[in-house]
Amino acid sequence: MLTIEEVKNKLSNRFKSAIIHFDHPLRSRLFVDIDKARVREISNEIVRMGGRYLVSIGYDNIARDKTLGLIHTFSLDRDDLFVCLRSAVPAEDPVLDSITPDIPNAGWSEREYMDLLGMKFTGHPKPKRLILSDDWPEGIYPLRKEVPWNLMPPPAENVAYQLDECPEGCTVVPVGPFHPTLHEPAHFAVFVDGETIKGCDYRGFMVHRGIEKLCQTQVTYNEIPFIAERICGICGSVHATSYSQSVELASGLKISRRAEFIRTIMLEIERVHSHLLWLGVAGHLIGFDTVFMQAWRVRESIMWFSEKLTGNRKTYGMIVVGGVRRDITPELKDELAGVLKTIEKELMTIKNAIIGDTAIHRRTKGVGCITNEEARLWSLVGPVARARGIDIDVRRDHPYAAYDEVQFDVPVLDSCDVWATVVVRILETFESIKIIRQALDKMPDGPIMTEFAEDIQPLRHAISAVEAPRGEVVHYLITGEENRPERWRVRAPTYPNLQGVPLMLLNDQFADLPIIIGSIDPCFSCTDRVVKVDVGSGKAIRLTGRELEQISRAKLNAGR
Amino acid sequence: MWLTSKIKQVLLVLKPGVVTLKYPFEPHPVPKNFRGQPVWDHHKCIGCGGCAAHCPARTILVRDLCQDLRVMMYDGSRCTYCGRCADVCPESAITMSEQYELATNDKNDITLSMELFMLTCQRCGRCYNREKTNMIDKMGLKGFRYDNLELRAVIQKATEHFDEKMLEESDRHQRPRKIGE
Repeated sequence: MLTIEEVKNKLSNRFKSAIIHFDHPLRSRLFVDIDKARVREISNEIVRMGGRYLVSIGYDNIARDKTLGLIHTFSLDRDDLFVCLRSAVPAEDPVLDSITPDIPNAGWSEREYMDLLGMKFTGHPKPKRLILSDDWPEGIYPLRKEVPWNLMPPPAENVAYQLDECPEGCTVVPVGPFHPTLHEPAHFAVFVDGETIKGCDYRGFMVHRGIEKLCQTQVTYNEIPFIAERICGICGSVHATSYSQSVELASGLKISRRAEFIRTIMLEIERVHSHLLWLGVAGHLIGFDTVFMQAWRVRESIMWFSEKLTGNRKTYGMIVVGGVRRDITPELKDELAGVLKTIEKELMTIKNAIIGDTAIHRRTKGVGCITNEEARLWSLVGPVARARGIDIDVRRDHPYAAYDEVQFDVPVLDSCDVWATVVVRILETFESIKIIRQALDKMPDGPIMTEFAEDIQPLRHAISAVEAPRGEVVHYLITGEENRPERWRVRAPTYPNLQGVPLMLLNDQFADLPIIIGSIDPCFSCTDRVVKVDVGSGKAIRLTGRELEQISRAKLNAGR
Repeated sequence: MWLTSKIKQVLLVLKPGVVTLKYPFEPHPVPKNFRGQPVWDHHKCIGCGGCAAHCPARTILVRDLCQDLRVMMYDGSRCTYCGRCADVCPESAITMSEQYELATNDKNDITLSMELFMLTCQRCGRCYNREKTNMIDKMGLKGFRYDNLELRAVIQKATEHFDEKMLEESDRHQRPRKIGE
């Protein structure tokens, strides 16, 4: 166990003048201003202390002191501590050392700020375009304050993303952007040798909605929870809670205990329905539609309950800054207990059916393997990490809402394959049911909303993490003037997990690709949320239906 | 082993039977607190514009055609049914109805427009809270607003006194265009 003082001492003893300033508004949050020249060394030191890389946050500070800021955030899971390393680079020459060679998971974050803020990272192994569309003009960095939120550059023809070099002797199989197994647009170029996958390149970020820029320029603190909720169609409350918590932390607002309990219940309801949904989808991906139908049938009862409680099946709109919007009445409490009972019973039957089915074992055991060390190196999160023997769970490690008052187990398996993710998710659903029951019992009376006593001070930093069904969601907030955030960064769980997918695919069979990608419960739209981008580039030849038919028939006949 | 597990699965499927609802052919009632299409009660509305200022999707527009006439328009095509407008309404003039079958070819089917006659305050033109220091809040509270109803665009400007120039300007409002078009 390291305390905040020990971390501070270690850093200042080792790096002396490179550490400019410490700031710790809370026992569990440490913000360190550091010299930009030693970012890589200090990051490595935090990792050596047991830090797990979360995400980097870049922001435009040109109007204040002509710099661009970059914050690397780490979580010390055993010590309930978040460490944020803040550095700044002059806007004319925004060059920083890349931390990606040591922490591969930082690769996307750094590429993001190459695109959005025009930063440069020396030593980055793959400095390619990540976020912006291929026809976005050079030199316009959308996250800089000078660029208006509704800027629409003209589309360009004849530009296309350059895929990675295909290894010798391999063939490229394109999966996506639209593909039946993906549900959302993302492009995987899979390099295969026969049926074996030898590598893959990912081009995603096709559904940007410019949410962060929008919220930093157009709306106010109170409206953002509703927009945050729509980042993800499945785990909406998670984003709303995480955002609201970060505002509350930044402003020092303490919300009522009852509101915290209701938030906990909403989060767990979401986990139950999300895991059941995933179980159905996973069954469908491997061609086992019985599981798909039955899991979704069981899920329906909790959706109907949510409709009664919040007024909608999904996008509950329950969580706002300062508390929640609707109270759980005694009648609803009884009904929820009943719903949980049926779900528990029915899920047990489905679980037995899955465990007894040899087809599922054959399709998932030994598939999508990566070792514990690799998963740790790539900072995977959520059930994907817990299936690889990494014992992390934000609910237990950094308790928020009412999780400090409920008891639950964190299922961890070490068979490192897709089968383990299935089992972890089923076990977690039972744990969720346990948590909701305890929360219903212990929920105290009281108000559900707490009003702000004063305005939120500008330029306060806050970080908040919430355990979503897919992993951990991290929101970083810098408060601003005019009643809206200066910078709001969202990291969805798919963001780190998707970076580990090429490694999971390596040396597996091509037929297992859908279930391996499916096993991280990918949510591409959550990952692609940063900046407004117009998609649609590359040259396309339009064919009429008749032309297509003629070509197809000609090919068919030629093959005969 | 294989056969027994398959038999078990058949039983698993048979037990619940058919659960599919006959929905389009039989109506499906919604629960009491359902958040359907918001409806305005023009008898209660005082035209404060609080709903417009708090709408996260910016679907409620306010336009003052002259000193005495305020038009409030709700454009359901972008509504997210969060119910924030109903929450903030000081007169409870907005209710979230049970209507959810809103798919349509014509935007006007789900558009609601109200013309409200406003009185002029003898002291200040129209009343607003002078103690607000925050610009965004102030913008929402100032007396006169000029959203463009034809384009359904929010004009982020408001004035203390009715301004015919602003009205004309907002009439000519254009959506942002792609550079080079």
